[in-house]
Amino acid sequence: MTNLKTNSEITWCPGCPNHMILEAVKQTITRSKIDQKQFAITTDIGCHAKMFDYLNLSGIYCLHGRAIPTAIGMKLGNPNLKVLAFAGDGAAYAEGIAHFIHAFKYNADMTLILHDNQSFSLTTGQPTPTSQQGYESKASPLGTQDKPFNPIKLALASNATFIARTNAKDIPHMISTFSKAIAHKGFSFVEVIQDCLIFNLDANNKDKLMYKIKDNSDKKIAEKLADQFNYNSKSGKIPLGIIYKSDEKSLAEKWPQLKKLLNSKTNWQQK
Amino acid sequence: MRLNIIIGGKAGQGINKVSQIVANVLSEFGYFTFNYRDYQSLIRGGHNFNVLSISDTPIESHESKADILVALDDRTIQTHKQALKKNGVTILGDQFKDLGRNLNIALSGALIKILGIPIQELEKEIKSQFKEHTEAIAAAKQGFESQKKISDLKKLDNKISISSGSKAVAEGARNSGLDLYIAYPMTPATNAMHELAKNQIENNLMMFQAESEISAISMSLGASFAGAKTMTGTSGGGFDLMSESLSLQGQSEIPLTVYLASRVGPATGVPTYTAQSDLDIALRAGHGEFPRIVVAPSNPTETIEKTSEALYLAEKFKTLSILLSDKHLAESEFSTTEQPAKTPKFKIDRKVPGQTIIKASSYEVDKFGNSTESYTLTEDNTNKRIDKYKQAKKFIEKNYDMIKIHGDKNSKNLIIGWGSTTGAIKDAIKDLDTKFLQVLYCKPLSPQIKKELQKADKVILVECNVTGQLGRLIREKTGIKIENRLLKYNGRPFHSDELKKYLEEIL
Repeated sequence: MTNLKTNSEITWCPGCPNHMILEAVKQTITRSKIDQKQFAITTDIGCHAKMFDYLNLSGIYCLHGRAIPTAIGMKLGNPNLKVLAFAGDGAAYAEGIAHFIHAFKYNADMTLILHDNQSFSLTTGQPTPTSQQGYESKASPLGTQDKPFNPIKLALASNATFIARTNAKDIPHMISTFSKAIAHKGFSFVEVIQDCLIFNLDANNKDKLMYKIKDNSDKKIAEKLADQFNYNSKSGKIPLGIIYKSDEKSLAEKWPQLKKLLNSKTNWQQK
Repeated sequence: MRLNIIIGGKAGQGINKVSQIVANVLSEFGYFTFNYRDYQSLIRGGHNFNVLSISDTPIESHESKADILVALDDRTIQTHKQALKKNGVTILGDQFKDLGRNLNIALSGALIKILGIPIQELEKEIKSQFKEHTEAIAAAKQGFESQKKISDLKKLDNKISISSGSKAVAEGARNSGLDLYIAYPMTPATNAMHELAKNQIENNLMMFQAESEISAISMSLGASFAGAKTMTGTSGGGFDLMSESLSLQGQSEIPLTVYLASRVGPATGVPTYTAQSDLDIALRAGHGEFPRIVVAPSNPTETIEKTSEALYLAEKFKTLSILLSDKHLAESEFSTTEQPAKTPKFKIDRKVPGQTIIKASSYEVDKFGNSTESYTLTEDNTNKRIDKYKQAKKFIEKNYDMIKIHGDKNSKNLIIGWGSTTGAIKDAIKDLDTKFLQVLYCKPLSPQIKKELQKADKVILVECNVTGQLGRLIREKTGIKIENRLLKYNGRPFHSDELKKYLEEIL
């Protein structure tokens, strides 16, 4: 029986949406009926990463910015593992941006769950690459003057094979999105829009802009969907669901050595 | 008997081809060779040269004076005429320019004749290398007939093999059953990457080129955690980028071996030349205090052995092993009759994901592998890591060569050196009243070193760096300062004849 609970004290702020993301992850894994020993996770550094301590799953609590390459390494080390990487908008889009882009190129069969609250919260609220213009923090008392970039567009430009967006306040939608991401044969990127109750409060409560879309696999439509929200203003619309999905060879299918391990369900030591 | 041939020309003219063919013929004929490669950071043009040194007894160095100069262009003559001995012979590539791509074969023929080796030996080599060889053999004959012999080498009964430090890293890794080599290109570590990429399917391993050194080492830790025998490699600049993850290895205790092939720094420095200036970062890079092993072989045979030891120790003690080399070891071609020691074989028998639930973390952890800020656990875990190092040290002291003593073992004079400088020292001291202590393990450092220092009357440190990094390490560990230092730091390794002259002045 799946038992995902650990003994660690949960230290997220009361009411933090991370509690709901954790619940959705647990339910996704339980419903997948996959043996929990088959999963391996990586977490980055930041509030999201405390997930590591609260999930009874194998994994590595990584260095800041490195959750993605470490997870890809796990797939090189054993392509049969079900790998989930958790990262924040600071981790993946600032410190680890090169890894984010290259992950789409390698297309390892794994899932990236990206918690985006448009703020470096565990370090007390500095702006991240997706913070809105004008965001005032202790590090940006004059208000950050940079326009945020759009990670969904970046993912599309990097030939992503699976891009989805979900809402941390909507557990059923998270479960359905995470489940589709795990089932995808390739690198699946799920952006979770999440509020922070302490920092960058102006970025919160975007729910009224959100609407659910049908699963999409048309690149032109995906580009339009990606353009609907620019992370900067609250005037656009925020599509939720599978924004783009396509079939390409995964990392293990591109390398005969890994394909062999995949087909025989063995690891390198049993080769 | 010792001869030195300088073969020079523009990058792309094939000087490596000439030295390779001649070295192969010589080794088949029972002679020892050492091939030093001096090349610039460019692909076509410029001035590159090789020094092919030949001897009837084992050698691991080249000399500064040449008996023969093979010039594929005028610049070679201008650059090297000072190095040519009084009665030295010059062979001009120009005379064979009509032969096209067989020019190098003709030059090989010319060299073979000068050395006094029968042409049949070269024909054998050509036939083994080229399927279509009629024109090549004609070119070899043309070259052969263009010269007069100056030497009359007799066939010797040595079974010689030729290898480079890069090939040896790959061989040692394969011997240990390496599964994954994950790296980003950087001279002079790249050739090991190429060697492992070659025939990777037949060798049942995988070479993966990551988008950066940061990614390469992060992936390596992920792969090792997942249960694969994994190694990464780079040079100084890439190693700097990897530092954060060296520290992660210390905390997470995921086994990891890093190949560090040094070149001239700081920064981009002189990128295709050699230096022993990264011992400090091998010993200390990475924040916090955690165990590591640093081992520095001096020739391909030792490199095969120490690569396997590094991989074995990383797995056995869940530690960081750093295999320290440099451009001179990685890219020179050595010849030997020695066989490497037996490889320590191992299987990964620790807990791996897929079979059980296992956690590794960049944070300090409790017994479940989850984060803790407890002061007792912080102290206990730190002690455990330090204790692990003590065990590794004990194991290495018991099982592996940490130092080697060369030369006159009863001499009161003592030379200390390490890594690729070893070859020149060994060759320089053949007729000198001195003992030479070669350091192989830089961490842990052998307790024998202090005893040898205490026994000696005169001690000389020889290194290719400006601050005497091994000397400083020895002083830190033994309290003994080595006053006599021969340090070279112009990007070029010691010539053995040059070193001998310097040593004679001090001894």
